[in-house]
Amino acid sequence: MNGPQVYFEIPVLGGLPITESMRNQWFVMLLILCLCVFLTRNLQKIPTGKQALAEKAVVMLTNLVDSTMGEGCRHYAPFVAAIMMSSLFGSLISVIGLRPTTADLNTTLGWALIVFFLIHYSNIKFHGLKAYLKGYLDPIFIMAPLNVLSEIATPISMSFRHFGNMAGGLVITTLLLSGLAAFSNAILGFLPVPLLQIGIPGVLSLYFDLFTAAMQAFIFSMLTMAYVGNARS
Amino acid sequence: MEAIFQSFVTIGWWELCVTICNLLITFLIVKKFLFGPINKMLEARENEVRELYATAEADRTAAETMKRDYTASIANAKDEAAQITANATKRATARSEEILADANRQASDMVRKAEESIELEKKKTLNEIKDEIAGLSVMIASKVVEKEINEADHKRMIEDFISKVG
Repeated sequence: MNGPQVYFEIPVLGGLPITESMRNQWFVMLLILCLCVFLTRNLQKIPTGKQALAEKAVVMLTNLVDSTMGEGCRHYAPFVAAIMMSSLFGSLISVIGLRPTTADLNTTLGWALIVFFLIHYSNIKFHGLKAYLKGYLDPIFIMAPLNVLSEIATPISMSFRHFGNMAGGLVITTLLLSGLAAFSNAILGFLPVPLLQIGIPGVLSLYFDLFTAAMQAFIFSMLTMAYVGNARS
Repeated sequence: MEAIFQSFVTIGWWELCVTICNLLITFLIVKKFLFGPINKMLEARENEVRELYATAEADRTAAETMKRDYTASIANAKDEAAQITANATKRATARSEEILADANRQASDMVRKAEESIELEKKKTLNEIKDEIAGLSVMIASKVVEKEINEADHKRMIEDFISKVG
């Protein structure tokens, strides 16, 4: 099982690779940009069709942020929306045959690092540096290494959960596809195409691509809201 | 050239940086192109609705004030109308009484005058009759005595006679 393909390397600092994940991320970004521009084109006072949909989505997400993070966190709504859309579309591009960006640990870890930064930034901003540092000695100073470990564990668990789910789906789908090809060759070898590959992966893809993609996008953004909201309270 | 693949699980600072930048750019895209316009529109609509409600409330208050004014003025008008009717009735009654009194007075005046003139006429007629009788008597007497005497004396004598008789 391969990782993302490397298209070429920028010849500085010992070679900076441009990978399949990056290309797909840019594709997803373009998709999000087009979607946003399309949804908010020609806005009217009285909403119809796509505008009603866009407004509903924005209001729902804002309410979700309000209820999960508490009051005064509305400015986090676009960030949560960005994570949610990047994750959802990043996973869903597997449906059109592209390698999901979230099946690359670099992607999910990058997102989790931003969340990690936000958690500690919010914590220091709302409680002060002293109280923040004191929090590590809670309940007694011996606990400090464990506290630090648990803080570091947060982004790791977040990123590995998302990456693991998507990569696992990718692996299973790939294994199934090659397995079906071999099986098809064994029992229906007289046919020019591996017939069993048609249809059966699609059923599994419903779970591994659609359901897991939506689920992980939701979980990742919910965890983001919960952690950052918790750091503020 | 053969395709190069990374290993299945890798961590690289360059890849992480690119991902972080990508997410930040996505955040800006979502903020600027989705949340910005939609929130602006929602706010505009909220303001408009609030304005509409305020206008409606103001209109309602104005209508209520007007209604109260109208009710009051209608009640006033009713009172005034009653007042005017009462006044008119009172005036009319007074006037009719006055007219009646006038008429009575005039009638009684006329009756009195008529009575007076009748009396006067009677007296005049009586006097004329007296004169006539006196004249006749004188004429008869003069015919009888065939003697011319002073008419005035005769007349006086006859008048005396008549007054004694009558």
